[in-house]
Amino acid sequence: MAATFHLSVVTPERQVLDGEVKFVALPAHDGEIGIMRNRAPLLVRLAPGALRADTDGGPRTLYIDGGFAEMAENRLTVLTEAAARPEELDAEAIQAAFDEARALSIPDDAAFAERQRALSRARVQRKLLP
Amino acid sequence: MANRRVLVKRRKAARNIRKITRTMQLIATARFQAAHTRATAGKPYTEKLTQLMENLARAAGGVKHPLMAQNPEAGRGALIVLTSDRGMCGGYNTNVLRAANDFLAAADEPVDVSMVGKKGVAFFRFLGAEMAEAITDFGDAPRFDQVEPLANRLMQRFAAGELASVDVVYTQFVSTARQRAVVERILPLSPETPGEEEGSADLEYEFSPAPQELLEELLPASVRVRIYQCFTDAAVSEQIARMVAMKAATDAAGDMIKRLTMQYNRARQTQITMELLDIVGGANALE
Repeated sequence: MAATFHLSVVTPERQVLDGEVKFVALPAHDGEIGIMRNRAPLLVRLAPGALRADTDGGPRTLYIDGGFAEMAENRLTVLTEAAARPEELDAEAIQAAFDEARALSIPDDAAFAERQRALSRARVQRKLLP
Repeated sequence: MANRRVLVKRRKAARNIRKITRTMQLIATARFQAAHTRATAGKPYTEKLTQLMENLARAAGGVKHPLMAQNPEAGRGALIVLTSDRGMCGGYNTNVLRAANDFLAAADEPVDVSMVGKKGVAFFRFLGAEMAEAITDFGDAPRFDQVEPLANRLMQRFAAGELASVDVVYTQFVSTARQRAVVERILPLSPETPGEEEGSADLEYEFSPAPQELLEELLPASVRVRIYQCFTDAAVSEQIARMVAMKAATDAAGDMIKRLTMQYNRARQTQITMELLDIVGGANALE
């Protein structure tokens, strides 16, 4: 019955996750996207956010710092420059990043976008804290 | 008499040095394994990224990106030099710095040097050569988020047309028996030569956003990871270089101890013989 497919999450530093899953929810650049077995080939850009996966050993959550995901032939590969399990996140560091982002001045649109990105990043991470 | 005592002292010194170099060799071995694991852990990411880029380039049909542009009028280059923070690693830093100097001597326009590692910084200060940046806080296990700002800075300047090229001088890890100092061109990116061979390329992908936009994100990511890989390669090579250097030092100390022991024994024997001769001579004189 197990309609599973392969998921691997890799960063330049390590392989964070590698195994069979039933369902994955990805933080795509334009909203969350859910993937199940036999999905059509897809290449999508990701935004910082939470990746949820239904593995054999129960649901798993990961923080993903943007990147790309490719689904092809029942293999989902997530490429991201940084990923963390919820237990690896540091509450104080997140709060510090949040406060720092909030204190940024906003001289132009680019700076505003930068600030928003940093803020939403910190918010997502905070939500994921165990 | 005095000679013997000197020999004992020297032998003791050589023994102590051997103890230290052997320890350093063992530490380097352990560090090398750790660094090597780290370097290989990043391989899947790079491979996948390259593959994605090829697929995308094919789907987008020709790629144009600021990172691929030639900026001949920029009149400035950038060079990242990767040296170690610590010494005792044989010719490791010398080779990198020689390659860097050759590169700088051959360059026909000014080059901004980003020097990584205390050894390189000290050497360039000694030469009185200019450095745009001196980075000494990477340690011997560079992390991606440490390398990222440097890569982003250079890419930004390149895209703005301030730089004509970006190169990295580092020690490439070919195999455990072979590492060499190389200059690698990072920017401008050479246009991907579309490979025709692999089968997965026939898949009809759904792209989100459009291929062209995706490429604009992928290219900088690939530059970042290439620079990061230079760092991990350099870290692995450094530990190997230290391992080899310390092995040689340990062996040399062993040889020296052997030679000193021999000299000591000979000196002792000579002395005994002389004393015996004295006694025999004295006894003979009494008769």
